[in-house]
Amino acid sequence: MPYVNDIEANRVLCTHCQKLHDVSAVRCDRCGGHLHQRRPYALLLSWGFVLSGLVFLVPANLLPMMVVKSIAGDDAGTIMDGVIHFLHTGAYGIAFVIFAASVFVPFFKVSVMLYLLLIIHFRWRARIMGGLKLYRLIHFIGKWSMLDIFVVALMVGLVQFRELATIVTGPAAMAFALAVVMTMVATEVFDPRLLFDMQQRSRT
Amino acid sequence: MQQTACHECGVLVALPDHLSSSQYHCPRCNALLHRRGQPFSRIIVMAVTTLLLFVPLTFLPILSLDVMGMHSSATLFEALWRLVRDGYPAIAMLSILTALVLPVTLMLLLLLILIPLHLGYRPKYVARYYRAYEHAMEWGMVEVYLISIAVAIIKLSDMAALHVGPGLIIFIFFAMTFYITTMWFNPDDIWDRDALCE
Repeated sequence: MPYVNDIEANRVLCTHCQKLHDVSAVRCDRCGGHLHQRRPYALLLSWGFVLSGLVFLVPANLLPMMVVKSIAGDDAGTIMDGVIHFLHTGAYGIAFVIFAASVFVPFFKVSVMLYLLLIIHFRWRARIMGGLKLYRLIHFIGKWSMLDIFVVALMVGLVQFRELATIVTGPAAMAFALAVVMTMVATEVFDPRLLFDMQQRSRT
Repeated sequence: MQQTACHECGVLVALPDHLSSSQYHCPRCNALLHRRGQPFSRIIVMAVTTLLLFVPLTFLPILSLDVMGMHSSATLFEALWRLVRDGYPAIAMLSILTALVLPVTLMLLLLLILIPLHLGYRPKYVARYYRAYEHAMEWGMVEVYLISIAVAIIKLSDMAALHVGPGLIIFIFFAMTFYITTMWFNPDDIWDRDALCE
């Protein structure tokens, strides 16, 4: 059975309340939402946000995330330093959580978004379904990369013992927060229906 | 039959008028097209519970630290707010917004949506709150904040004597009721009632 999509049938779906309208409709008569067959400027905005996310990830991983100032001297550590520290002390579980949330997830998100955009760009029809599954996955795990920002914020907030021991935020925190926000926005502005559109056009 | 389209692959699908199964998936891409939610009255009760649990969180400490006779403790809000003094107001605002402000806003928005509907108002009047709810859902991160507290506890435990405050236990319950409330709420139910009215 051939699948007919909304563009071929001259219909437009309200993404807020799932009501199907004629293509001429501008606003949904049930919930008042704006109607677009595909999210406007989806590809352009995704490319922009993914690439800026990738740029911010570089300083986020190379610069120190937080600096522990104590009587023993300053101790600045990047994200990977933290992971390695926990591996040495034997806390494998916590090392895994930090590595997964702060190193793996951001890079995985950026690579998947680039992969999806390349699928559309080079019209790799065989990879559509796999791409959609990856898109669902990064949409689900996307917010977990904020974990390290919260951890830094909490430690800075709690450890304030003047000369004895103080934790201050490192320069990587800002870059990391921006990278997380950029990649989250990139997945939000992307429209997965664009993947399937080329399958439709290929038949005609 | 009501015609709709898959929001993830765009294929046209016909859903039966009387939905017998609790979930309907897209025939092509398997996206969830329809699921069954709980009655509105139950969700309202759960949302009010979540909001009430938030009240003590504003003043109860989640953690306290002791290092060589010096004491430090912080509530959920204070722990993030101190970043402002540290010279990172943007990160502090982002954290407070995603971890605390948006989850509370979500519960208030749910009440703004469900109470009028429960009283018999037309769904069109609450549609704007629902669109705000959709956006806030993308950015609310209670569960991430909860796990980050656990990570912070482990990181700090070799540094100082750590005491878990009552705020943390309430925050765990807050996160749980928050999660249950959003799980129970099925947005499609807002519009299904509209179909009944016509």
